[in-house]
Amino acid sequence: MIELDKRTQEMLEEVRALGRTHIRPMGLEADRTAMPPPVDHEFYLICTRQGGLVSKMIGADESPNALDWKPVRNFLIGEECAYWDRGVALSLPGPGLGGPALRNTGTPEQRQRFLSIFEDHSKARWGAMAMTEPEAGSDVARIKTRARKVSDEHGGEWVLNGQKMFCSNSARADWVVVWATIDPELGRGGHRAFVVERGTPGFEIIKIEHKMGSRGYETASFVLEDCRLSGDNLLGGEGFYEARKGFKASMATFNMTRPLHTAHGVGMGRAAHDYALDFVRDEYPAQGRRRQRALERLARIRRGLHTARLMYLNAVWLAKTGQSNVLEASFAKMYSPPVVLEAVATALDILGEAGVRNDKMLEKLYRDVKILDIGEGTQQVQRHVVARQMLQMPST
Amino acid sequence: MRDFALSPELEELRAAADRLARSELEPNVREAEAAGRWPDAVLAVLDGFPLGGLDVPVSLGGVEAGCFAKAVVLETIARADASGLPGADRPGPTAGAVAACPDAALAAEVAGSCLDGSAQSAFTVIDPDVGSKGLDWAPGWPALRWIWAMEGDELRLHEVTGGTEPIVSLAFQASGGVAVPWSATTLRGSWVLPAREALEVRGRARLWGAAVAVGIAQAALDETIEYTSDRVVFGKPVAHHQANAFDLAHTAARVHAARLVVRDAAGSFDRGEPDAGFWATQAWLEVREAAFNATNVGIQLLGGHGFIVDHLAEKRFREARHLAMAVGGLDAAEFDVAATVLDVPDALLASLEQR
Repeated sequence: MIELDKRTQEMLEEVRALGRTHIRPMGLEADRTAMPPPVDHEFYLICTRQGGLVSKMIGADESPNALDWKPVRNFLIGEECAYWDRGVALSLPGPGLGGPALRNTGTPEQRQRFLSIFEDHSKARWGAMAMTEPEAGSDVARIKTRARKVSDEHGGEWVLNGQKMFCSNSARADWVVVWATIDPELGRGGHRAFVVERGTPGFEIIKIEHKMGSRGYETASFVLEDCRLSGDNLLGGEGFYEARKGFKASMATFNMTRPLHTAHGVGMGRAAHDYALDFVRDEYPAQGRRRQRALERLARIRRGLHTARLMYLNAVWLAKTGQSNVLEASFAKMYSPPVVLEAVATALDILGEAGVRNDKMLEKLYRDVKILDIGEGTQQVQRHVVARQMLQMPST
Repeated sequence: MRDFALSPELEELRAAADRLARSELEPNVREAEAAGRWPDAVLAVLDGFPLGGLDVPVSLGGVEAGCFAKAVVLETIARADASGLPGADRPGPTAGAVAACPDAALAAEVAGSCLDGSAQSAFTVIDPDVGSKGLDWAPGWPALRWIWAMEGDELRLHEVTGGTEPIVSLAFQASGGVAVPWSATTLRGSWVLPAREALEVRGRARLWGAAVAVGIAQAALDETIEYTSDRVVFGKPVAHHQANAFDLAHTAARVHAARLVVRDAAGSFDRGEPDAGFWATQAWLEVREAAFNATNVGIQLLGGHGFIVDHLAEKRFREARHLAMAVGGLDAAEFDVAATVLDVPDALLASLEQR
């Protein structure tokens, strides 16, 4: 039993109500049209006007240093959002994955400059983070986007060249945190993060990806061609990187986003479970053999989801109490996606032939959940992280 | 001694199917999905290719090459593109029902209309405990006319006389897709078959899906190996990392195993063996897992590229799951094997002395 404080319960109820009226219908529509909701969708304005809830939905609004940091609450809200539609939840206005990067790495001036725009509740705004490249996905240390310092005057000037892909919400973002390297030969030590604002010359969105599922949010590719940035856009300032914190900072971002990914998976698995349970109640006679088999399968689904939830709560608790959660964050991310995929597949098996129909929500969920095992570090990367930590293997 | 070789005639047929699939289907996969049907040029070629009639008796207008030959050809085509196969192959999964139909004149009418391209047929299994409101999915072209439904050991033939509902489905978009309530059909016949014959009918339908799934799984494995041998991460090709290499090796073994059980079950139909329906159902159960594994690994090792439509990994992942829910789905298959497993002797040792 997980006890919820009164405010968390209220917020979950709030999300649940929005889930019914907006999040799920928007997700179904986005799936049907293969287009995420437009930036001026009324729901984004509703969310923006409600202020903090928006960011809490994606678990990314508060500083780990704040005394009232409520990551558990945020993650539970993230789970509930994904229950209704993870794609739409990821499309909600806010700093997105750029938020943790800014908070972990940014100077006070940068945090003020780039995060304060979200305090303006009159307009929906987005932030984003870009790490993956066409030739560097799981192996983020191999990124090739090049950052060259071209001037030391006025705090310095930088030029970025390269290409990024699979970047969520970047086509609608006010700014994107872009990871680049000053010299690929330096490996992780050469990594630098820049905040690239929309409209900066040389920054151009070249493609919105067509995905199998999770169509509620856009995934874009962009190029940087002689994209000139002020030294003020170098996240953390040069001193931060002289202390060789670059790559570690980028990885620290994932120590919170991986458990959040797990929370999303639990939400999606619950959605599949509930759909199948309703089907069993409506269609299968109380004493029939189908019902018994289905209930045994539903119990197995619940077991896996309960375990996954404990894993993400544990990883978040470690972070909340100031302990390292590298291993536990990867444990959660490694365990959850196959369990959730099995949950949806099992739910489809319960429906039988009817499961292939798009008007049954499970067909969409089956296409949606596969991304859980890829984004934020694939299953294989999690194994790599865990094995390296556990066996004290050297870094590659 | 079991001979695993293809006969020269079958090898020739397989090669012809492969040429057709590689030249006409493979280059047009996404266009066909968007169009909801295979290109007319392909369908024109298929008119002269004995796909639908391969496993249909000569007496019903087929060429009676057998289930084994059909399985080989289906796998070969599916390896290039399976999306239009449910539409193009008629009577396809219902060939067993046509052959088992006690009303010879009606069977000839159904087979004739399917083979001449004027009608589509579909097959469904209904759980007697649960019932059914209608058919959830069938190919959308040519117009669906015949639905074979099995409820327990009762085989029913429905003729679609009312409207069908276009339906978007998980996969096989190049076959279109329709759903039909029973109220839009007229019952043309109903026969209670002996249990073993009834299982043969369901087994033939499962064999069809299993053969297609083997082709899909092999294609997934092929693409995964090609991609992961080329893409470098952490200093070497993705495929050369031991964990990934083991996954690929495991997948290859399962696809190989799946092909063997499908061809073995297909051969058992051709040899008239009494437990062919049981072995076909076992093969289907084996293949649904192998195909899931191969297509899942296919997306996984392609990473984000596997999730977008620029590659075919995501399509195969959907197709494998779609097939895994056909013919009544997992429950129906497991009920079938559970009901018969005690009566089916070991395929090899049964001829030896009883213990």
